Amino acid sequence: MSPIKKGHTLTGKQYWRSLDELAGTPEFEDWLHREFPQGASEWNNAWSRRSFLTLMGASLALAGLSGCRRPEEHIVPYVKKPEDMVPGNPLKYATAIPMGLHACGLLVESHEGRPTKIEGNLKHPANRGRTDARIQASVLDLYDPDRSTVPSRGGVRSDWTAFVSFWREQFVAFQATGGEGLAVLSETFSSPTMMRLRRAFEARFPNARWVAWDPISDENRYEAIRAVLGRVHQPVFHYDRAKVVLSLESDFLLTEPEAVTATLGFTSGRRIESEKDQMNRLYVVESLYTLTGANADHRLRINSSDVGAFALAVAGELQRQGLAIEGLNGLTVPTMTGRAAEWLAPLAKDLLRARGESLIVAGSGQPAAVHALVMAINGALGNLDRTITYVDNRDAAYPSTSGLTKLTADMAAGKVSALVMIGGNPVYNAPADLNFAAALSKVATSVHLSSRVDETSAATVWHIPRSHYLEMWGDARSLDGTLSVIQPLIEPLYQSVSEVELTALLASGESARGYDLVRETWAGLVTGNFEVGWQTALLNGILSDSALPSIPVNAAQVGIAQAMASHGWSLRPTATTNLEVVFHPCYTTGDGTRANNGWLHELPDPITKLSWDNVATFSPKTARELGVQNEDIVSIQLQGRELSIAAWIVPGQMDNAVGLSFGYGREKAGRVGNGVGVDTYRLRDSQNMYRAGSATVSNTGRRYELATTQDHGSMEGRPIILMASLDEYRENPDFITGASVIPEFMAESEKAKERDLVREYPSSWKEPDYSTGYQWGMSIDLTTCTGCQACTVACQAENNIPIVGKEQVRKGREMHWIRVDRYFTGDVEDPGMEHQPMPCQHCENAPCEQVCPVAATVHDTEGLNVMVYNRCIGTRYCSNNCPYKVRRFNFFNYTDEYPETIKMVQNPEVTVRSRGVMEKCTYCVQRINRGKQVAKLENRSIRDGEVTPACAQACPAEAIVFGNINDSESRVARVKRINRTYSLLGELNTQPRTTYLASIRNPNPEMKA
Amino acid sequence: MKNGRPVNSLVVDEDNLIPGNPTYESITESVAGIPEQKQTPKAWWALFLTAVSLAGLFFAEIGYLFYEGTGIWGLQIPVAWGFAIVNFVFWVGIGHAGTLISAILFLLRQRWRTSINRFAEAMTIFAVICALMFPTIHVGRVWFIYWTMPIPNQMDMWPNFRSGLVWDAFAVGTYFLCSLLFWYVGLVPDLATLRDRATGKIRKMLYGLFSLGWRGSNRQWRHYELAYLVLAGISTPLVLSVHSIVSTDFATSLVPGWHTTIFPPYFVAGAIFSGFAMVMTLSIIARSVYKLEHIITMKVLERMNIIMLVTGTMVGYAYGMEFFIAWYSGNQYEQFTFINRAFGPYAWAYWIMISCNVIAPQLFWSKKLRTTIPVMFVASIVINIGMWFERFVITMSLSRDFLPSSWDYYSPTIHDIALLVGSFGLFFSLFLLFLRFLPMVAMSEVKAILPQADPHHHTEQIHG
Repeated sequence: MSPIKKGHTLTGKQYWRSLDELAGTPEFEDWLHREFPQGASEWNNAWSRRSFLTLMGASLALAGLSGCRRPEEHIVPYVKKPEDMVPGNPLKYATAIPMGLHACGLLVESHEGRPTKIEGNLKHPANRGRTDARIQASVLDLYDPDRSTVPSRGGVRSDWTAFVSFWREQFVAFQATGGEGLAVLSETFSSPTMMRLRRAFEARFPNARWVAWDPISDENRYEAIRAVLGRVHQPVFHYDRAKVVLSLESDFLLTEPEAVTATLGFTSGRRIESEKDQMNRLYVVESLYTLTGANADHRLRINSSDVGAFALAVAGELQRQGLAIEGLNGLTVPTMTGRAAEWLAPLAKDLLRARGESLIVAGSGQPAAVHALVMAINGALGNLDRTITYVDNRDAAYPSTSGLTKLTADMAAGKVSALVMIGGNPVYNAPADLNFAAALSKVATSVHLSSRVDETSAATVWHIPRSHYLEMWGDARSLDGTLSVIQPLIEPLYQSVSEVELTALLASGESARGYDLVRETWAGLVTGNFEVGWQTALLNGILSDSALPSIPVNAAQVGIAQAMASHGWSLRPTATTNLEVVFHPCYTTGDGTRANNGWLHELPDPITKLSWDNVATFSPKTARELGVQNEDIVSIQLQGRELSIAAWIVPGQMDNAVGLSFGYGREKAGRVGNGVGVDTYRLRDSQNMYRAGSATVSNTGRRYELATTQDHGSMEGRPIILMASLDEYRENPDFITGASVIPEFMAESEKAKERDLVREYPSSWKEPDYSTGYQWGMSIDLTTCTGCQACTVACQAENNIPIVGKEQVRKGREMHWIRVDRYFTGDVEDPGMEHQPMPCQHCENAPCEQVCPVAATVHDTEGLNVMVYNRCIGTRYCSNNCPYKVRRFNFFNYTDEYPETIKMVQNPEVTVRSRGVMEKCTYCVQRINRGKQVAKLENRSIRDGEVTPACAQACPAEAIVFGNINDSESRVARVKRINRTYSLLGELNTQPRTTYLASIRNPNPEMKA
Repeated sequence: MKNGRPVNSLVVDEDNLIPGNPTYESITESVAGIPEQKQTPKAWWALFLTAVSLAGLFFAEIGYLFYEGTGIWGLQIPVAWGFAIVNFVFWVGIGHAGTLISAILFLLRQRWRTSINRFAEAMTIFAVICALMFPTIHVGRVWFIYWTMPIPNQMDMWPNFRSGLVWDAFAVGTYFLCSLLFWYVGLVPDLATLRDRATGKIRKMLYGLFSLGWRGSNRQWRHYELAYLVLAGISTPLVLSVHSIVSTDFATSLVPGWHTTIFPPYFVAGAIFSGFAMVMTLSIIARSVYKLEHIITMKVLERMNIIMLVTGTMVGYAYGMEFFIAWYSGNQYEQFTFINRAFGPYAWAYWIMISCNVIAPQLFWSKKLRTTIPVMFVASIVINIGMWFERFVITMSLSRDFLPSSWDYYSPTIHDIALLVGSFGLFFSLFLLFLRFLPMVAMSEVKAILPQADPHHHTEQIHG
């Protein structure tokens, strides 16, 4: 069905018709129009109120906790008011979130001693105040009711003192043998205190071993660096300095740990004020559709195993065009075909043009040889020391799968008598061929530090509760080496210890406080007066000038050649009987550690828009050939292992590829995460960590219901996201004019030449005067927005938005106030992808307001469309009449049965809504009002940038700008003057205060689209 | 003027409206005899118990709804209105035939109406009761439903008079009150007849109470007829206004498929169409169960069928005109909505609607078919199914509006369906009680159209 025909040609290429021309194809019907059989599905919706309430409670509950406690070191009786502490006024403390080898600086909002909302620390160079969905949601993990509360031994309740005395005995015994048979398995870290304690441990027990391992890591990259440079250095990618970026299956904008940093840098090169500005260019070569691919100017789908061959072909082409690349001798450059072949010459030319300002980055799933090749190309292009620098981080524990493999083998052989696991969950996520659980059962003394009794803790002798990062002392370096103190905002809620405290016990046999341990380390880091330096670092959240110096690197030619020699560079054909499985981390659950976080489970995947499940993804063609449709359960056979999982079709994915994400199918995550999705680690072995060939897939004939937040992926030829290439934009800077499907607003209409057409229609009413005072407005730049949805979770945290669970999401009742719409554009098999954040548009002429019978949604003098919850009776007419469908309804009492303690996570400045009322984005009116209060106390008006809604504050692409549009000098007013500004559905005369900047891409004119 | 007597061209086939030359007494006997039956017919009990069980289901569902919230229904975003609103419009529409028959046909001197007006009016009252339930219970916080009324309060907070829903509440409320009064006033002489014939003490008392001391004096008749005329005058605009205002619930919005000026007349035609279909269903049952074929004659049924043919065709015209305007406007949102109606995910509902509402009444072009009881009985039910689907199709415009990202498919839950079925239970419970305890045909009015009620008629014929 193609409902909208080309009766009115829009302005040619400037405004894409998206999938319109494909709307008539049966394939389109199959997977785009509607994912359910027409008229047949959804009648059997077994709805259960209990199940989502359990879910809700589990996400937010905090059983057995009374009152809130501040860190012991700062506690002051309230009879003497602490400095700066005014009840009702939140305080913000600087801290940092450790993310493996990376860390981001945070400012955490604390209400009367309880952390409620995370924001980025502007002073931290890694994230400059920005965050992503994972960081935003981490505050919920603190209040996770399924955290363990006390240490246990053999499943029996114990306590920390008992463990300390137990360890003392072990300590004495192991001291005699120098730690023979003692092993520590930790997560990767980049922390001076941890490293100091690890060294102390290793000094005390020279025969013991320490292995660091993460299920998903950049290990291959480090391996290549080790081979090329002789030892591991931390690479730092400077996307902000790159004019041309080539991603070889690197999802640096989303799933990589440093995504915030990368997004900040990458989007800074795309932000354009006018058609005269320059943009960077992104090429992405990948198998699955990633968010980075969605943001590419050119995207090539290719087998994951052929990415290396493609990289070598690029190197060959670069050589042909005159660039000398070391280490290529002896390698046969494979011959590419099809689009890949068409890519080579223009891509190489572009890279050469941007010598020293280009950046090639390979994904963590690519083997070390590809990383080595990429290093060689980057070196030849002169990118080293410019777009890539290397730092020598001596405080980092790098991941080692071989270490884990050897450790597991020794455990199985009975050579390990005591194993201490600091974090991690290897029973759940170690490669399947290692059979970690069986090996663990051979270890006499096993200790696991974990936030909950998870799969691993259940199999160990000792379980020690792990402190959340918001309740512990610690320190961390970000990738560039910048040092932060991890400062607690609350005393540990339970009898938990941090990894620092446990490691100190391991190393010394004495229990020590994290605070003292960190200060001891920092005594050697702070120059000058320690107390002053320490306090300054706490206040700023970073130790100034602590970024590590970039070290000059000298690629050892031999190393490159050696690293590359072992790799097979030829192309590997695939077929439906020989599918390639590509594993990828899930953005939300990560490797599975975040699997009990309801905010993240409910956050739809940016590509599939599925929440609450992981799926096997297929391209439309492969799905057709396999006879698989959305929601079919498929059986995947891979090297003798089998997995049944629901299928989902992702247009644009490589044919004959199966995408599987990690992090689901947890058995002991907790109430929220148990049994959500399917555990794909079962298919993974240590030789094929990120992809595996020769898989076969069969349809089991069974079905599985999935919950998607967006059923329809085509724009239907409507002017929803206005798009142009940079060249088209330069040719016609006013290309957005006339983008309409209503005749009198269309380009060929005489009237449409007036930019402000709707205002020409005189109103029959006396319109409110919006020319004085604060007039709030927002601008969202679709060019820089990557679609990562940090805004969605930030909004959820700020505005007490409940989660509703899978069944409710499936019904279409998700509550997100700002959603991110995803549309496919172009070819049905290989489409482009666009994202559009969609908050309330705050229409000046709001359709919702006119239809409410009780005037529960009205306009205020500052142009806000406000929702009066107390007045709302829930006719839902406002939602029907909202053309943007941004209103959310409390179909049930999603919040009523919160236990008393749940209120601890809620933002006290935002009303918790009850059943039967409508809610929606408020532009964070509570922040506006606080800003006004502060300004009034200081007898001034609000400064530009002083009030920022949660979405704009979090956005790592800095795509959302908010402010007073009445102040012509405000940033938002300036941004709105950019000629790409358009009002979505403006022809309806809604006059929205939220406007969009059209999406501009920068394709290479020499390359075929 | 012809021989001093006004000739009303609208008065068709005046003679033999009530065939068989009944007397006043035989009319009274056959009508008043029904509520006076000593033995309640078994069929009545069977029907009543079924209906009352369904009504029980209806109230149980409402109880559960109030306890849990509107989430028990299939509603979501974007389809925030579902069965409740569909049922509301459906029931309000049903009511319209009653008012049309009692008021407009009265003013137009359509004397054939007398045999069906009473229960058409009763049907109106009961249908409006069912209709009023739905907008009340469909709100999220039912305990504040009175906020839609302009009740003076200390906050100086009034309803939003720009909202169609407020006017809807006024319109339907007014309609209910007027219909109730009109029906009751018409009942008074007949209640007095029942009172006079009553034997039991309770019957005497109750009929006595509600017949308001009617004695049938000339003065009372004059007052009665004036009051009836005035109420008919008040009710007449309501026939047009109520459903027009109901249509503004949709028409004053932006939603493609709703935002259209054709809605008021189109809704009114549809309402009369469905109302007549419902009167038809009920009268066919009542006349055969209670042997009233001589009062509710085939001529009356045939005329109702003709009205259905006319209004059904008007509705069909409106369906076509919506498509034309969508095309003619050039507005692609509108165009999409209509093509989507016919060929999108709800195409099944659309084609049920077209088949039932446009195609089915065309049978009545045939004199033979429009006078065949089984045909008209099936057709009347089919038309009501079709008219329910018309409201469903209109409401489902919500499922695909401006931004494809929010498009979704609404499916009712078991609770949606239970409330729809239960509302029929409530309707039929009330209707069966009416049949059992009140005169279902307006005796006094039927008597007035008998030849012996109009002596001049006889004279006129003599003098030619």
